Amino acid sequence: MTSLIGVLPFPATGGGTRARTRVDHRNSEEAALVKRVQARDEMAFREIVERYQSKVFSIIYGILRNRNDAEDIAQQVFAKIYFSIKNFDFRSSLLTWIYKITVNECYDYLRKKRVRKLVYESDFSEEDAQRMEAAEPAIDPHPPIDTRLAQRDLVMKLLSKLSEEDRSLMLLKEVEGHSVEELAQMTGLNENTIKVKLFRTRQKLLRAASRLTHARTLAR
Amino acid sequence: MHREIYDRLEEILSGAPPDSAAKHLQQCEECREKVAAMAGQAALLRVLKAPADVEPRPGFYARVLERIEAEGPVSIWNLFAESPFGRRIAVASLALALLLGIYLVSIERTAEPMVAGGPAEQVCAAPACDAVATNASAVASPVSVVPGEDAPGAVLTRVDQDQPDQNQPDDDMLVNLVTYREQ
Repeated sequence: MTSLIGVLPFPATGGGTRARTRVDHRNSEEAALVKRVQARDEMAFREIVERYQSKVFSIIYGILRNRNDAEDIAQQVFAKIYFSIKNFDFRSSLLTWIYKITVNECYDYLRKKRVRKLVYESDFSEEDAQRMEAAEPAIDPHPPIDTRLAQRDLVMKLLSKLSEEDRSLMLLKEVEGHSVEELAQMTGLNENTIKVKLFRTRQKLLRAASRLTHARTLAR
Repeated sequence: MHREIYDRLEEILSGAPPDSAAKHLQQCEECREKVAAMAGQAALLRVLKAPADVEPRPGFYARVLERIEAEGPVSIWNLFAESPFGRRIAVASLALALLLGIYLVSIERTAEPMVAGGPAEQVCAAPACDAVATNASAVASPVSVVPGEDAPGAVLTRVDQDQPDQNQPDDDMLVNLVTYREQ
């Protein structure tokens, strides 16, 4: 099976799949907002914060499951946006750019804390635990909380094996639920490229999972 | 993985496989296993999905502004100070610069006489000096060995004749048979 993968061509463009989707992110309403921020318009920056704060907070909370940490990192994300928006080049949508910064900040935070286990029980407030219990189940409708923590730990380890770009793309697809077409518009890449990138990323994840399982088996 | 599945993988994983792909999956165990593994992984990734109602506390923008004021603009040097990789690069660069400096200084010291004096003249009066001089020329050392200029052999010199040392009234000291002089 794997022998075929290297020689497979790009996914077919027929059957409703379009290879186009070059979106000009330079001439949108969002671009005008960014340009105002680049010109140090504080009201425009405020608009960006208010527009994206829920999204950023939710991404971080999804990864860390801790409100205080999520708040702290969300502030850090917007501070980073403020200082580096002058380098934003309009090749992707603002949301894609913010998403990448957000996920990277989460990883930096985890690296700095050298968290082996993603979330310790002591990090949970009662409110967090209730929210987590109420969250949409992913695989098993009612997995115990320790199983969910183990799953999240595994997911973070697997995602750490990917490049920033692949990681963001995969999360935008599977966690945020964007379609291939939407991803093409957001990133400025064409749909075929998105499909190829997703396929390769899925393969990398499978290989990483297999290596991890193998290592765990050997450790026992 | 076969072509018809590869082409339609995203549609299959999003739960809307075209008929042709569905038929292929029924027949091909290999593709079915691979797709099942990828679908399982996609489902696993969704554990990162946050509940819909999470929001930062009120006053978030004000706290962001405070953070911005506290942090100030990010300097390029923060890259070296903050990340472990950056710190390693900084230490490695310093070590490399130090080694390079030591190397350059040592090279310069060795090369100095050649530049200044050209081929070293070797004047040797004492027999013992011959051997030294021969060795010196054998290794093409730019330092030549010359005997004391006053007399061959042991050279008795007076050091600081104008200011005799009280502890050592007789401040004559025997120096080596030869003196080394860099030309």
